[in-house]
Amino acid sequence: MEKLTSGQPAAQNPRPKYGGLYNAWVTAREAFWIALEALTTHKLRSFLTLLGVVIATTTLIVVMSVINGMNLYIADHIANLGTNTFILSQFKWAQGSEAWLKARQRNRPIRMEDYKALKEYVHGYKSIGATASGNRVTAKYGSRTLYDISLTGVTPSMIDIGQQKVAYGRYITESDYLHSAPVCFIGQDLVDKFFPNVEPLGKEVRISGGLFRVIGVAERIGTTFGQSQDSFVQIPLTTYQRLFMARPSINVSVQAWSSAQMLPLEDEVRSLMRVRRHLRYNQEDTFGINASETIMSLWQRLTSSIFAVTIGVVAVFMVVGGIVIMNIMLASVTERTHEIGIRKSLGARRRDILTQFVIESAVMAGAGGLIGVILAVLISQIVERLFTSAVPLSGIVVGLILSTAVGLFFGIYPASKAAKLDPIEALRMEG
Amino acid sequence: MESQTVASQLRESPAPPDNIIILAQDLWKIYDMGAIKVDALCGLSFSIRRGEYVAIMGPSGSGKSTLMNLIGCLDTPTHGEYWLNGRLVSQLTDDELAYIRNKEIGFVFQTFNLLPRATALHNVELPLIYNGTPPAERLARAEEALRMVDLGDRIHHKPNELSGGQRQRVAIARALVNHPSIILADEPTGNLDSTTGEEIMALFDSLHQSGNTIVLVTHEHDIAAHAHRVIHIRDGRVDRDEPLE
Ligand SMILES: Nc1ncnc2c1ncn2[C@@H]1O[C@H](COP(=O)(O)OP(=O)(O)O)[C@@H](O)[C@H]1O
Ligand SMILES: [Mg+2]
Repeated sequence: MEKLTSGQPAAQNPRPKYGGLYNAWVTAREAFWIALEALTTHKLRSFLTLLGVVIATTTLIVVMSVINGMNLYIADHIANLGTNTFILSQFKWAQGSEAWLKARQRNRPIRMEDYKALKEYVHGYKSIGATASGNRVTAKYGSRTLYDISLTGVTPSMIDIGQQKVAYGRYITESDYLHSAPVCFIGQDLVDKFFPNVEPLGKEVRISGGLFRVIGVAERIGTTFGQSQDSFVQIPLTTYQRLFMARPSINVSVQAWSSAQMLPLEDEVRSLMRVRRHLRYNQEDTFGINASETIMSLWQRLTSSIFAVTIGVVAVFMVVGGIVIMNIMLASVTERTHEIGIRKSLGARRRDILTQFVIESAVMAGAGGLIGVILAVLISQIVERLFTSAVPLSGIVVGLILSTAVGLFFGIYPASKAAKLDPIEALRMEG
Repeated sequence: MESQTVASQLRESPAPPDNIIILAQDLWKIYDMGAIKVDALCGLSFSIRRGEYVAIMGPSGSGKSTLMNLIGCLDTPTHGEYWLNGRLVSQLTDDELAYIRNKEIGFVFQTFNLLPRATALHNVELPLIYNGTPPAERLARAEEALRMVDLGDRIHHKPNELSGGQRQRVAIARALVNHPSIILADEPTGNLDSTTGEEIMALFDSLHQSGNTIVLVTHEHDIAAHAHRVIHIRDGRVDRDEPLE
């Protein structure tokens, strides 16, 4: 057996000391494994302990995902509602309820005469079109029926302005429009239901009692906010007037050549409309001019208030979760007093014990965060089917960091209690 | 007597000579229980030289464990000076005491004090973890220490999968693994049958032969007979201090 004594003479009361950072890293890593072991040995207890943190993380990420999904939708669709397009309609879209109540009294519908006047007297637009839509309708072909179809009367120019693109066949033409022909341009949902294996062009579909010949099919748009964007029928606006409503309330879409031209063009439309309606300079508009920016600003106000509420809810759950973790850690310190005594008798310093329990608490809460992330991703996938959702990477990162930080913070008090234990007192506690 | 000569030397020169590994000078330990005060140690003085094999004997309640805890830097005296390996322990901070416990002392307890959920290997690794020994070296040294106590084939067993004697040998391996200046054992055979106790004592004997300083507490004469010197304690005082043979 080798000689094990250190044997070297000690200097005049030298200050004994461990190595620096490396040492801390070794004990921290050790603490990480201890924490994982403690977690996996008491699975149910750990899960219940972590419920608060799990709920908080899940809530945070789900809300972030839904908002992110809607942002993507808006970027994809509303923002592209027609590049450089604004819409003249009876009401301004994004306004407070009070302003809307006043506008309801004051504003009057936009009519075909308005459209014709704008088309003639406004200059410099790239394209101008009008649409009229009423309630949702039922479409029939043979024995098959589709409910809840949106029926819109359009001018031929809407092909340049609207979302739809022609997949095959053709869009509504000037000729269809002039003759108020009984023809229709349909979305893919109608193709799926009525013409799964049949050529749809030339077939006649019954809509609200009238028969319409299919002249074209639109490209598939997909679902957004859980709503299919492909269950529509478009017919010439003149046909719409002839069959359903002689004097409909319409929306006029005006497309500018460039974004710089938007404001001057809006002003021109506004002036013309004010003149047509004989508004004095101190009277407010009796119509609304809406651009995609209007929706964006409404959306931003909405998301910021959703976020404020979410932050409140998440904070409450995190604090509750943190307090539960703190209590479990306090119980754990008491339960493991003897273990702490053993560790101290073998040379663990206060900071080693402190690190061990703080890391244990952080790992526990971090694991809760991880469960929360996984739950949120699953929930988000379900929400995506019904509505819209896209988990942002930042949400996962924030969720994990936040939950771990909560564990760190609420672990400090129990850990410092453990660290302060007297070695011999702790050893006497029989474990 | 030797301890007295050293004690008288101390008044002139504060640090004891190099070959004195332990110097206790008028140690008192008073437990303050509020209403009553228990004098566990009452002015105890002695010294131990490097390489000695000392047994501390005395009746139950005489203060043996209290003294061992002081020597092992697990506890601090109410009064008195305690020098360990040239350091005045009463002047050390908490962290420095932790370092001493880790590097200078190998403590073997009557009740083993192993972590119940950890393997033998991990229990032996613990002291190395606290001084930041890198994992590879840690593993090698822990395995070596376990082989030294004849448990090379039991390293992955947990304490409840080991016999009492094997547990105590794990504890001894743990005490050895940092190559301490001194090995302290408080009734190491107290929880073992006499055959197993003899095996453990044989291990201590061989540790002493390879140069370790050993102080062990016992109330059994058979066990004390392994040592080369016996300090008898009674009511917190040194009663007799005699060499064996
Ligand atoms: N933590 C304590 N609090 C109060 N009294 C104690 C404590 N530890 C030991 N004592 C007392 O100190 C005396 C010495 O105890 P101890 O050192 O354990 O004796 P031994 O190990 O020789 O049996 C006993 O009277 C015991 O009751
Ligand atoms: Mg005792």
